[in-house]
Amino acid sequence: MTPRIIAANLTVRLKTFRREKSAMFFTVAFPVILVLVFGAIFTKPEHLNFDLPVQDRDQSLASGELLKRLAADGVFKPIALPADADAGQFARDHKLNLVLVIPHGFGDVLTHRLTHRDDTDSAALTYIYDPSSTSVTTKLQFLNSMVAAANQQMSGTPPFITSTQQSILSKTYRFIEFFVPGIIAMAVMTSSLSGALNMNAELRQKGILRKLATTPITRTDWLLSNILYQLVLAVISTVAILLVSYAGFGVRLQITGWLPLYIVLEVFVFVGIGMMLTLIAKEAESAAAAANAFLFPMMFLSGTFFPVEMMPGFLQKFARVLPLYYVNEGLRAAMIFVDNLAALRCGAITAAVAAAVFAAGAVVTRWDREV
Amino acid sequence: MSNSADYAIVVETLSKRYGDLLAVNEVSFHVNKGEMFAFLGPNGAGKTTTVEIIETLRTPTSGRVCVLGMDVAKHKRDILPRIGVLPQGFNSFDRLTVNESIHYYARLFGNKTADVDGLMDLADLMDKRDVQFQKLSGGLKQRLGIAIALVNDPEVLFLDEPTTGLDPHARRAVWDVLLGLKRKGKVVFLTTHYMEEAELLADTVAIIAKGTLVAMGSPGELIERHADYMWLRLKCVDANVGKTIKQMGFAPVLDSHNNLKVQVKHTDDVQKILNAIKGAGIPLPGLDVRKPNLEEVFLSLTGEELHAGALTAGDAQ
Repeated sequence: MTPRIIAANLTVRLKTFRREKSAMFFTVAFPVILVLVFGAIFTKPEHLNFDLPVQDRDQSLASGELLKRLAADGVFKPIALPADADAGQFARDHKLNLVLVIPHGFGDVLTHRLTHRDDTDSAALTYIYDPSSTSVTTKLQFLNSMVAAANQQMSGTPPFITSTQQSILSKTYRFIEFFVPGIIAMAVMTSSLSGALNMNAELRQKGILRKLATTPITRTDWLLSNILYQLVLAVISTVAILLVSYAGFGVRLQITGWLPLYIVLEVFVFVGIGMMLTLIAKEAESAAAAANAFLFPMMFLSGTFFPVEMMPGFLQKFARVLPLYYVNEGLRAAMIFVDNLAALRCGAITAAVAAAVFAAGAVVTRWDREV
Repeated sequence: MSNSADYAIVVETLSKRYGDLLAVNEVSFHVNKGEMFAFLGPNGAGKTTTVEIIETLRTPTSGRVCVLGMDVAKHKRDILPRIGVLPQGFNSFDRLTVNESIHYYARLFGNKTADVDGLMDLADLMDKRDVQFQKLSGGLKQRLGIAIALVNDPEVLFLDEPTTGLDPHARRAVWDVLLGLKRKGKVVFLTTHYMEEAELLADTVAIIAKGTLVAMGSPGELIERHADYMWLRLKCVDANVGKTIKQMGFAPVLDSHNNLKVQVKHTDDVQKILNAIKGAGIPLPGLDVRKPNLEEVFLSLTGEELHAGALTAGDAQ
């Protein structure tokens, strides 16, 4: 290992990076955009709100009361439909995926029930909905629970069963907090693997590796230079992700020594894998395909976007052989659950993989022309 | 067996096999200290394979190669700091400037005192020092490659096809740089398929074809040895001239510019032909006599052309 040579390579890579505006943009912007998009989609479901087209065929005090209760917590905003329209046709014509119909006589039935204490009296609401719509299930869930609550309140029967929720975790966490460590791990993996792979494929294709082979640089120097450079990029993108997550979504994460440790290990793992893939993908064009073939399964099966427990059993088993799985688990253990033992366990596995991949990468990286 | 320390490069019965293909077949030669050595051959003749074995980049199948007295198979790490290489189709990092590229390679060699300005001067790159590699023309890229090959002040310099793909003007500019190196007494190992380049620059030329060394010597020697004739060219001739020359036992050919070319052995033959034309009462046409060039030596040795358009090498490619 020659620090002088590693420093020279690092300087070249950083100069190139600084002059390549698009590389800089993607290193920072890609993970940040992911955080923003997924954060916006998945956080604060309590702030969900939908328009609720309602055809009130009763127009009574009671139906007005029901609508008021449905609108009470802000999820639904009732919009009145003409009382005489064909609700189904109206929904099709106006591309509405859910219409609530309050039947004629709704108020009379309620009055009769309350005055005669006759529990057999009931009124049927009709949901006219489009089952092919993806958001309608969520709307129906909300609507059902609100109607159930309104049912109790309006019929004057207090509930027998109530419930409270108790988390097994020392603190509750939101989806965005689950998501941020995964995005950090994914961003570091993507830039390390495809960065190392693309750069080496390009340098090989241009004959720069052949020229370097006639200089005193060694394979270890070259591998360490690549790792160091990718580490700089990893730090940049991690800082960007954290800044956006804190500023945009007010996440609460534990930033401890585990985070830099995991980033270093992860860079070792994926730069090493990238160097090995360079052997298969000898040209720059095939390098991108090779990188994607490797990155996508890793991304989706290692619990980056959702917990692996959501996947079928055999895929959960498969996830356990993917190095990114241990980075995800370890980072979440450290940053969310403050579970140092789990962080240590996953860190040890990642470190073992890093050592193996680095050794293999150093062996397979060929300078001369025999490959 | 020659004492390898007396020469800059010694190659002994070198062979390199790729599967069924014998790319280099029992090639032997040596390069003297202080000489510019040209390795001449068509594409696919085994030039680059041979030079890359000498540069320690490839391993020989059999045979022995020594550079500066050291065996390439055993002393790669000792040889590399003492040689400079311009690989075929040289490229540097796209977004590094000329100045930065040279500094980078100087740092790899640990040469803190590298005279970067001097190298830029030598390669005539001073006014391009802050231009990024991707913006350089082909000729400037090659000149930068030569400057970079010199950052460690090597004792032996390898230049693999330094002018391939360049226009005639850029090629001349590279030749100027190489002539400068020659004056400094560097050992230069040049591979090329331009005979004009070899003829102009080289002290010794080795001709390789289909993996086999077919001839070696100074350009003059090779021409003497393998093409002991002259070309007499007669301009815009009367139809009877050809007939007269044929009757004398020569084989004149008409070239595309309507000139008559006659291959002759001696200056006496020229005299005889001119006398015969004069005797036939035909006005004496314009004429010139020239020695054959390396291209023709190559043709006579191998029966194949060096490369398409080689006779007008300056305009080819």
